[in-house]
Amino acid sequence: MGQLLTRHTRRLAFSVAIALICSGLGAACRSNTSSESAAPAAATRAIPRGGELLVSVRSEPRSFNRHASRDSTTNLVSNLTQSRLVVVNQVTQAVEPSLAERWTTADEGRRVTMTLRRDVVFSDGHPFTADDVLFSFEAAYDEKGGSLLAEAVEAGGKKLQVAVTDPYTVVITFPAPFAPGIRILDNLPIFPRHHLDAALKAGTIAKAWGLDTPPSEIVGLGPFVVSQYVPGQRIVFSRNPHYFAKAPDGGALPYLDRLVMEIIPDQSAKLLRLESGQLDMMTSEVSPDAYAPLKRAADEGRVTLLDLGVSRNADGLWFNLKPGALGSDPRAAWLQRDELRLAISMAVDRKVFADTVFLGAGVPVYGPETPANKNWYWSGQPRTPHDPAAAKTLLASIGLTDRGDGVLKDARSQPVRFTLLTQKGRPNLERAAAVIRDELKKIGVTVDVVALDSGAVINAFLTARYDAVYFNADKTDLDPGTNPDYWFSSGSAHVWNLEEKTPATEWERRIDELMTRQIASPDPAERKRLYDEVQKIFSEHLPMIYFVAPRIYVAHSTRVTNLTPAEYRPQLLWRPATVAVIH
Amino acid sequence: MTRGLGLALVTLALLSATAAPVAAPHAVDAHFAGLLNAPPTVPHVADAAGAWHAPFIYRWQLANQLEQRYDEDRSTRVPLAWFSGGHVVRSSDEAAAPLLLLGADSYGRDVFTRLLFGARTSLGLAVTAALAAMLVGTLLGGVAGFAGGVLDDVLMRAADFVMVLPAMYVALALRAVLPLVLTAPQVFALLAAIFAVVGAPFVARGVRAIVRSERRLDYAVAAQALGASDARLLVRHLLPSARGFIAVQITLLIPAFIIAEATLSYVGLGFPDPVASWGTMLQEASGNIRVFADFPWLLSPAAAMFLVVLGVNLVLQNSRPERLRDDRGAGVKSVL
Amino acid sequence: MTRYVARRLAFAAFLVIAVSSASLVLARLAPGDFVSQSGSTQVSRAVLDQERARFGLDKSIAAQYRDWLAAAVRFDFGYSMQYGRPVRDLIPERAANTAMLAVTALVLATLIGLPLGVITGSRSGGALPGVIRAASVVLLSMPPLLTSLFLVFVAARTGWLPISGMRSATVPAGGALLDLLRHLVVPAAAIGLPLAAMLERLQSQAMREVIDEPFVLATLARGVPRSRIVWRGALKAALRPVASVYGLIIGTLLSGSFAVEVITAWLGLGSLMLQALRTRDIYLVAGCAGAGALFLACGTLVSDLALAAVDPRAREMPAEQA
Repeated sequence: MGQLLTRHTRRLAFSVAIALICSGLGAACRSNTSSESAAPAAATRAIPRGGELLVSVRSEPRSFNRHASRDSTTNLVSNLTQSRLVVVNQVTQAVEPSLAERWTTADEGRRVTMTLRRDVVFSDGHPFTADDVLFSFEAAYDEKGGSLLAEAVEAGGKKLQVAVTDPYTVVITFPAPFAPGIRILDNLPIFPRHHLDAALKAGTIAKAWGLDTPPSEIVGLGPFVVSQYVPGQRIVFSRNPHYFAKAPDGGALPYLDRLVMEIIPDQSAKLLRLESGQLDMMTSEVSPDAYAPLKRAADEGRVTLLDLGVSRNADGLWFNLKPGALGSDPRAAWLQRDELRLAISMAVDRKVFADTVFLGAGVPVYGPETPANKNWYWSGQPRTPHDPAAAKTLLASIGLTDRGDGVLKDARSQPVRFTLLTQKGRPNLERAAAVIRDELKKIGVTVDVVALDSGAVINAFLTARYDAVYFNADKTDLDPGTNPDYWFSSGSAHVWNLEEKTPATEWERRIDELMTRQIASPDPAERKRLYDEVQKIFSEHLPMIYFVAPRIYVAHSTRVTNLTPAEYRPQLLWRPATVAVIH
Repeated sequence: MTRGLGLALVTLALLSATAAPVAAPHAVDAHFAGLLNAPPTVPHVADAAGAWHAPFIYRWQLANQLEQRYDEDRSTRVPLAWFSGGHVVRSSDEAAAPLLLLGADSYGRDVFTRLLFGARTSLGLAVTAALAAMLVGTLLGGVAGFAGGVLDDVLMRAADFVMVLPAMYVALALRAVLPLVLTAPQVFALLAAIFAVVGAPFVARGVRAIVRSERRLDYAVAAQALGASDARLLVRHLLPSARGFIAVQITLLIPAFIIAEATLSYVGLGFPDPVASWGTMLQEASGNIRVFADFPWLLSPAAAMFLVVLGVNLVLQNSRPERLRDDRGAGVKSVL
Repeated sequence: MTRYVARRLAFAAFLVIAVSSASLVLARLAPGDFVSQSGSTQVSRAVLDQERARFGLDKSIAAQYRDWLAAAVRFDFGYSMQYGRPVRDLIPERAANTAMLAVTALVLATLIGLPLGVITGSRSGGALPGVIRAASVVLLSMPPLLTSLFLVFVAARTGWLPISGMRSATVPAGGALLDLLRHLVVPAAAIGLPLAAMLERLQSQAMREVIDEPFVLATLARGVPRSRIVWRGALKAALRPVASVYGLIIGTLLSGSFAVEVITAWLGLGSLMLQALRTRDIYLVAGCAGAGALFLACGTLVSDLALAAVDPRAREMPAEQA
């Protein structure tokens, strides 16, 4: 009797086991055979036309309208569907014509007369004229409209004056001498007046082209148009047959027929897809953890791994330098002092930092510019030596001493201790904060690392309720004149002391003055000299401590060709029209 | 016998947790800079030539930093040091060739050490919370099932409300209200309280169902007829019949709480570094795509959890309900 | 009985309102808001404040709650700030996806977990129950994050199944339905297998207790074959505790498991809730919490009704309450 059931179950178990073994063998066989041959054909001179590119993004865009949001996916969508007057070539840093064919400057560069391309039409066939350029500026500047791009196309905080002299000529006048000049026009997508005029008049330009907009209504001058949007899953772009730019051989651009943007929030899933050929490229860099499997895949010929050199941006540590922010906290005596930050810069071993956070693929940096910014990096940047003893001496000079138990204490015998905020879920930031904590422990400073979600961290430093933060303050363009928000004490990105009414310190006042001259000066050598001086002052007071800038790696499948990689997000798609796939 | 195996596993877990500072080769926050994600240093007793020695290990040498590949340095044997420096076993050359029985994690910390110390945190928290949840849940469920009527309704609806409120939102809001820096004991108390509250409704529902149906059985009616007070009836006669269910619930709650600790640390309500916990160790491991193929030792907390839960399972499930105090149960089982 | 059900439904409605309200308030209390999340740091405070006014985030918590409640009674649950669509439209879409996943996972879990639980519960020794029990404990010890990651990894290595997402970009040969089913396998397994383990444990325990009952021995003595006793008689009796949690499981599943949904990019309610929480999209947060509450409340109701159906002794008889 008992045997009946036992035999049943035994047979069941046996067949299950057989099934498992078979599947296991199948898996082994499958992973041994190489995936579909992705070895590129011998370099052909003709760039293949047609085909589909599969890219991944980490999150959904917040809008199809760059005025509404500046998150990376919205930027990418805007890049694909809209065009600008000029484009900054991210490899050469030169300004190249796009919708504007050529331009002349007058009045010491303050007045720029741009001649627009003729016979250009929007993706719906409507002709493009100078009036659309005027409209685009109006959309950015409209106060009721709430565009987030307003400051990106201002010079020195003031709007540009835009006049239309004939349907193909635009005259842009800068309110004051502005050295970066028309570089900032790379930020302004040219919108169709015939579609969005109503929204502008109603003051809702930032609400236009939200995620619920039917794709056919998103009209632009870019190489692609939105053909399908599946919320949360993907956005499908097809080629814009009316795109104005032409290939070197005279043929039409873009080369691709379709671009599918998959929304894949999980990094691991993204990597697995890339490795197995279900994805052509990621729109962000490869994290250090993912390097090894991609290298293996590259060695096997399944992907191509590119080293784009040192990053242009590094994450940094800054303290809350707002006067009075600490209230009656007795730590105010030393927490906001320059000496503390200088000591920290000396105490942290940047090699250990690079090894732990970036697995060695990083370069020590000591200031706001990295060597990747060839035009503006100050070659005289002093490299703070790793000297914990000197750090302790420096801290002793402001009254923080070690009485022999390895813990620094202030004049009232309270231990030297502060809280470091960083963002949860970003390994680079969390590891860096851990390294800082461990290194500072060696000189007797106790750091409490608190990792919060991004909303909480941003809120903390927007409301000036924190001791110290380790975070990123990325700049988009390399010309420092295009980052007034960071440099000027009144700026909204002057993170250690946001939007000061008057400079709180003498050195900030000095930087304000130097940057004002730097932005206005027409002489490139003079500008460089002034900016070097700014970096020098920065290194003397270290409002933000930079440690290591990572090397940037990107990967793509071997079927993608004709790329122009540059260290600028998205590294492989900042120039989407010329990307091609072998199919 | 399976029960013995269960007891052995549980004892081993408790022993490792209490003896962690001595049994672990390193301090919980010790990290080795050049050994990120290093593989385990396997103790050998015979060298390449076949000669026998006291147990020793080989040093790991970094072959490729970016790929995190290591080569064994077979040129020198590094013998193990026993009962030195307050630890059961260490390597005789801690600086250059530390003993990494389960490899190192992405910060270069010894996984085995963190596993032992993590046992204290995670097991302590999970067991405390599970016991608390069991106590509260059993009491509430028992009273609800026994009393019936309005009290039953109120208690069960309150339980529903607690179950339904998303814990993440509460945690996030709590994070905003509490001070930024919490000490480990404070976090322990907070998490234990949260888990006990969150876990109690599940226990309460099941116990209530059992008590309600048991209440109408002959023995309960008889006891009541004989003059047993409500409380005595509930505690001595009805609740024990829920024993089996409660036992299973405990074995379900313990791993759930260990994992939940890691989830809550995502909104910032976790243990401060360098306190180790199994949940966060697994969370960190999950973040690394290479964990299955290249760094499987990072998953040892899952194995440890499995052994502990299995042990608890074996111990609890082999105890019989004592309602029928005769051998009939055993007899039926053996016949079947 | 109908009065009981009506009372429970009324309570469910109350629960939904209470939980949504609590979530709305909690989300407002959390630091940061949708606007501060949206821009990079290069946007001035003035513009941010303007954005806030546009979304109505500059009102006090009390005012915002009052306005929301007033609209909610007319079934207008506000707009999602991120998607620009009414919350009323967004949630049913995602809930349907989660429901698809939940049903599949539950079926999988039941078909695997219950029979295995019967096997381990009805036998005291042997290798098979030991193996099954060990497998259950393994699945219970793994965080859902790890289980789904592992399954995604296996899917990638074997290449049989799509790695993530709900549908492929181009509908492959075999049709859209088959495509969807293939995408369903990994997330359903990630949720279903640990659930099967839990059901197995519960069923096993219940079986063990029932086997000890005198009626089992009596039936055995009458000559009824063992397998029939186990699979028919004892099983029915042992369904009681499982039935009591079944509805609960359904309710929990329907609110979505965000770990699995995020990793496998399955567009369900769980990942929507997490996304809404991250971006502080408060009306969506309230909506998701309310939906979850609705499912759980219904789940417990179903659970209690199932219990009453399976075990007549547990039927509610209000008149008899002492």
